[in-house]
Amino acid sequence: MAERRRTKKQQNTVKHFDYTLLTVVFFLLCIGLVMLFSVSSYDANLTFNDSTYYLKNQLKNTIFGIIIMFVVMNIDYHRLDRLSFIAIVVSAVLIALVMTPLGYEANGARRWLNLGVSLQPAEVAKVGIIIFSASKVCRISQKKLATPRGIIEMLLPSLIIAVMVWQITENLSSAIIIMGIGVVMVYMATPGYKPYAIIVLSVAFFATITVLLVTNGVLTEELSYRFGRIRAWIYPETYASTTAFQTLQALYAIGSGGFFGKGLGQSLQKQFVPEAQNDMIFAIICEELGMFGALLIVFLFIVLLWRISIIVNNSNDLFGAMLSVGVLAHIAIQVILNLAVVTNTIPNTGISLPFISYGGSSVVFLLIEIGIVLSVAKNTKYDY
Amino acid sequence: MARRGNSRPVDNTHRTENPGKKNPIRTVKARFMGTKLNILFIFIVVIFALLIFKIFYICRNDGTKYKRQVLSQQEYDSIVIPAKRGEIIDRNGTKLAVSQKVYNVCIDAKKLNEEDGKYLSDTLSLLFNSDIKFRYTEQEIRNYIAENPGSQYRVIAKKQSYDVVSNIMEAINDKENYPNVAGVWLEEDYMRSYPYNSLACDLLGFVQGDNEGAYGLEEYYNSTLNGTAGREYGYLNDDENLERTVKPAVDGYTLKTSIDVNIQSIVEKHILAFNKEHENEAREGNGSNNTGVIVMNPKTGEVIAMASYPVFDLNNPRDESNINVEFTKEMFYGEQEKDDETDDETDDETDEETGEETDDAQDSENNESSENNENSENADTNNSDDALSLGITTPTQEEVTTNGQTYEEAYEQAKMEAYNALWKNFCINSTYEPGSTMKPFTMATGIEEGIFSGDESYVCNGLLEVGDHVIHCNNRLGHGVLSFSGALEQSCNVAFMKMGATLGKTLFMKYNKLFNFGLKTNIDLTGEARTETLVFNENAMNPTDLAIGSFGQGFNVTMIQMITGYCSLINGGKYYQPHVVTEIVDSNGATIEKIEPRVLKQTVSEETSEEIRQLCINVVSEGTGKSARPAGYMIGGKTGTAETLPRGNQEYIVSFLGFAPADNPELAIYTVIDRPNVPQQASAKYATVLTKDILTEVLPYLNIPKTEEITEKEAEELKEKQIEFADSSQEEEVENTEVNNEENADGANSTETEEETKSVIEIVDEKGNPVNSETLDEEYKPKEIKIDKETGYAIDPVTGEFLDPNTGQLIDGGSDLPE
Repeated sequence: MAERRRTKKQQNTVKHFDYTLLTVVFFLLCIGLVMLFSVSSYDANLTFNDSTYYLKNQLKNTIFGIIIMFVVMNIDYHRLDRLSFIAIVVSAVLIALVMTPLGYEANGARRWLNLGVSLQPAEVAKVGIIIFSASKVCRISQKKLATPRGIIEMLLPSLIIAVMVWQITENLSSAIIIMGIGVVMVYMATPGYKPYAIIVLSVAFFATITVLLVTNGVLTEELSYRFGRIRAWIYPETYASTTAFQTLQALYAIGSGGFFGKGLGQSLQKQFVPEAQNDMIFAIICEELGMFGALLIVFLFIVLLWRISIIVNNSNDLFGAMLSVGVLAHIAIQVILNLAVVTNTIPNTGISLPFISYGGSSVVFLLIEIGIVLSVAKNTKYDY
Repeated sequence: MARRGNSRPVDNTHRTENPGKKNPIRTVKARFMGTKLNILFIFIVVIFALLIFKIFYICRNDGTKYKRQVLSQQEYDSIVIPAKRGEIIDRNGTKLAVSQKVYNVCIDAKKLNEEDGKYLSDTLSLLFNSDIKFRYTEQEIRNYIAENPGSQYRVIAKKQSYDVVSNIMEAINDKENYPNVAGVWLEEDYMRSYPYNSLACDLLGFVQGDNEGAYGLEEYYNSTLNGTAGREYGYLNDDENLERTVKPAVDGYTLKTSIDVNIQSIVEKHILAFNKEHENEAREGNGSNNTGVIVMNPKTGEVIAMASYPVFDLNNPRDESNINVEFTKEMFYGEQEKDDETDDETDDETDEETGEETDDAQDSENNESSENNENSENADTNNSDDALSLGITTPTQEEVTTNGQTYEEAYEQAKMEAYNALWKNFCINSTYEPGSTMKPFTMATGIEEGIFSGDESYVCNGLLEVGDHVIHCNNRLGHGVLSFSGALEQSCNVAFMKMGATLGKTLFMKYNKLFNFGLKTNIDLTGEARTETLVFNENAMNPTDLAIGSFGQGFNVTMIQMITGYCSLINGGKYYQPHVVTEIVDSNGATIEKIEPRVLKQTVSEETSEEIRQLCINVVSEGTGKSARPAGYMIGGKTGTAETLPRGNQEYIVSFLGFAPADNPELAIYTVIDRPNVPQQASAKYATVLTKDILTEVLPYLNIPKTEEITEKEAEELKEKQIEFADSSQEEEVENTEVNNEENADGANSTETEEETKSVIEIVDEKGNPVNSETLDEEYKPKEIKIDKETGYAIDPVTGEFLDPNTGQLIDGGSDLPE
C-alpha cells in the first residue's frame, strides 16, 4: 500500500507536455502566414494599398489566439465541466444575436457579430458543442448510451445548434461541422458501430439520390440554389463563368501547379480564384508549392490529429478524452471538407482550412481548442 | 502510429468503474474507446489519402490543359497597361527622345451585336467618319463583327494620336448625347519619338518591337528606360459579376546625358556640309566612307557630342531610301561573278598599285568601315558595283546550293546587313589604324619614363630602313634636322621610328596598355568594338612593327579609345571612364542615380601632360595643325593621315585629335574622316578644316573668351561664314575650296608644313636601293632636286619617282598626273 501511495505521488509529479502537438500547430500557423502573404499581397495592395493588410490582421489574431491558448492550457480543464451548460447557451444566444442589429453582413452573408470585435458565432458554437457534448457524455450512464434513445439525447443539442447555424447564419458548412463533431463524439462514447455505419451509408445513399435527381433535371436550380451548386459540381465546365467559376479556377490552380509547383509567390491564379486567401488557399498552395506542398500540409494535419488521438488515449478521465475527441473531430472534418471542396470532390461550400485560411474568429477559437487539448495532456497522469 | 495509442487502453482496464461512488458523473473511459479511436483515425487517414490521390489525378490528367487555361486566362482577362518609357534629355534638359501617349482602338463584337445591333450602326459610323487609320477595311471589320459574335476584344487600329481619337473618347464617355455608342474603347499605349529626327541617331539608338531598345543608349539602358507595365484585370465578385481592377504602370526612368544639343547640331551640320561638298567628287557616293566626330570634356570623360555620317531618321529607322540594297536576281544567280570584297573605288589606281597585305583581320575591319558608309548611297544608282560595295555578300551559284538560301532570303539578309551598317555607331564600333594622332602617345611614353628630355634632335633623310623594310617618311626628300618639338610639328615618321626604337617594344606596349589600347573603354553605349586581337602582341612584335606602331600604323583603335586616352594625356594624366549618361531620374524628377566622373587610372604625370599640351599647341601654332585653329583661339592637337589596308591603294583615314582652348582645355575633339571622296586623300587638312569649322562655332557658344588676335583675312572668313550659315542655300565654303587648290603654295599658308606625313611601307626587294641607316642617323645630306620639266614635279633622286616639290610627297602613277 505504501508503495502504491508512493507511486501515486510520483504519478502526480510527472507532468506531461505535448511539445510535438505545439510544434505542429506552430508549423501550420507559420506556413499559413507565409502562404497568406503570398496569396493576398497582390489583392491587398490593390484594395488597401498595403500588401501586408491581410497578413497584419491575421498575425494580430494569431498572436492573440496563442496568448489565449496558453491561458487555457494552464486552466484545469475540469473547470470546463461546470461551464458546459453556459457554453451551449452562450453559443445559441450569440447565433440568435446575428438576427439583431448587432449582426452584420459581409461577403454577401449575414454571419458576423459586431461586439467591439467582429466575431463569427458559428466558431463559438463549435467550441461550445465540444464542451457541452463532452460534459453530457459523462452524465449519461454507459447503459443508456448504448440505447437509441441515449444516442438521440446526445445528438439533440448538436442538431439544434447545427440547425440554428444553418438557418440563422445561412452557414451550411459550419452546421455540417457542428453536426459532425456531435456525431463523432457520440460515436466515441457509445459501444458498437452499427448506428454509425448506418449514418454514413444513409448519407451516402441520400447524396447519390440527390445527385441522380439533379443530373436528371428533377431537382433544378429554381427549387434551391444548392441544386445549382450540385449541378455545377458535376458539370464544372458548363458553369465555368458562373457557379463553378471558383471551383474551376481552383482546379486550374491545382492542375497548373503540377508536382513541384511554380514556386512561392509565383501563382498566377491568385488573381482569379475568388476567396483565394480564405477558403481556396489550399488551391494556391498546390499551385505554388505543387503536390509536394499539399502533401506536406496534409502530413502536418495527420501528425496533429495523431498527437490529439494519443492524448485521447492517454487521458485518465472520460471528460478530458471526450474534449480532445471533439477537437480532433472538428479539425479533421474541417480539413477534409476544405480539401474536398478545393479539389471539387464535393459541391462547393465555404469552409476554411484550419490554421491556414484567413479569418480571425476561426484561428482564435481553434487555438482555444488546442489550449484545451494541451490542458488535458498536461493533467494526464501516467503510471510508469 | 495508431498502434502506440492502441496499447494504452489496456492499462485502463486496471482502473475500471468505481461502483462505490455515488457521483453520477463518469470519469473513467470506456474500454472500447481505444479501438474506436483507431478506427476513426484510420478512416480519417484513408480520406486524406483519397484527397491526395484526387490532387495527383488532377495534376496528372488535367495538368497540361489547366496550365494552358491559366495562361490563356492571363491574356484574356487581364490587359497590360503599358509603362511610359523614360525620356532621354541633354545636359540642358532638351528632350532628345520622348514617349508619347497613343491609343489603340478596340472593339467588343459581343456588345455591338447586343440588342439587335442597336449600337452597331451609330458606333461604326462614328468610327469610320473619324480620321483613324484602321488596320482593316470597313468591310473586313463589319464581317469580323458579324462572324465573331462572341469576341470581346479586337484591336482595329493601332497607335493613333490623341487628336485623331479625341472625339471617340468624348462619345464613349458622353452617354447622354451618344446613347448608342458602345462596344468600343481605347487602349493606351506609348510611341517613341525623337523630336530632332536624325540628331545623334547613332548615339541614341531607337526602339523597335515591344519597347526593345536597339543600338546606342536605348539598348544599353533598355531596362532603366523601360518601366514596369501595369495590369488591368477582371475578376468575379460574390454576385458573380465581372469587376475590373487596375494596377497602375510604373513609368521608366529618364536619362540625363552630357550631350549638348547645340554642339551636337553644330558638329552634325559641318559633317553634313563636308560630305555634301565632296559627294561624287572622286567616286560615286558620299563625301567620305564615314565621318566621325567626338567632343568630350577632358575634365570628366563626359561625351558632349558624338556624331557620324551617314545618318538616319530615328523616327523612321527602316526607311528604305536610306539604304541601297542593289541586290538583283542576276547577282543572286551568279550571272555576274564578282569578288564580294571589291571596293567601290576609282578603278585605275586599285589595279596598278598592289600593296602588301599584312593583316587579314585589319583588312576585314577596313572593309567593314567601308560598308558602313556606302549603304546610304543614292537609291537611283543602278550600278551593280554599288550594291556589292554595300558589303552585301553576293552568293555565287555554289553558295546558293550550299546555303540553300532562296533569293528572297538572300535579299532580306542583304537588306538587314545594310541596315545594321547604317545603324551602328562609327565612333565606337569601327576600328582603324590611328596614324599620326598616335604620336603624342609615343612621346608621352618617353617623357614619362624620363627617356626623352625634350632636347633631342633627329635627322630625317626621308626614309629609314627597319628590319627588312625601308620605310619612307612622308617627305621623301627628308625633313632635315628636327628638334624634339619639331618632330611632332612636322609629324616626321623617321623621327618617331627612332623614338620607338629608343623606347623599345616592352615600354611601348606597356604604355599602350596603360592608354587602354586593345581594351574596351566600356562607355555606356551598345556596340563598342573589341580591339584586343587588333593590337600588337608584344611577344610576336618585330622592329618593323615597333617602328610603324610608333606613328600609329599596324594596329587598330576605336575613336572612343583615342579620344579618351588623349584626354588623359592633356588633363594631367587622369584616365576618366568615358560616359554619356550623367544622371538617372525617375518620372517624378527624383534622382535615382548620379553618375559622377570616375578616374580609372593615372596614365602620365601632370608634368608630362603639361609638356604634351605644349607640344600639341606647337603643332597647331607652327606645324601640320595650323589649319585647325579657329580664328581668335589657340588650340592644341595632332593631325593624322593613316594609310588603310591594302597598302598602296592611295586610301587614307585623315584625322585631327585636339583640345581647346590651349591654356585650359575645356573640350577635346576628335575628327576622323574615313577615305574622303577626293582625288588626293592623303591630306589631314580635310580633318583639320572640319575641326576648325566646328570649333569656330562651338567655342563662342561655350563663352570661351578669344585670346588671339583676328587677322583681317580671318575676319573676312568669319564674316563669309556667318553669311553662309545664315543662308544655307549657299553651299560653297572658302576653306575647303582652298584645300583642293594645288596652287595654294604661297608662303603665308606654308603648305609644305601643313601636309601630313604619310607612311609608305615598301619591301626592299621590290623597291631596291637600300640605304645605309647609319649615315641616315648621323647627318642630313640635302638631296639635289631635279625638277621634271614636263610636269613641274620634283624627281626622287633615289627611286626616280615624281614628288611634290613643296611637300616631298610621292605623286601617284603617271595616269593620275595633271596635264
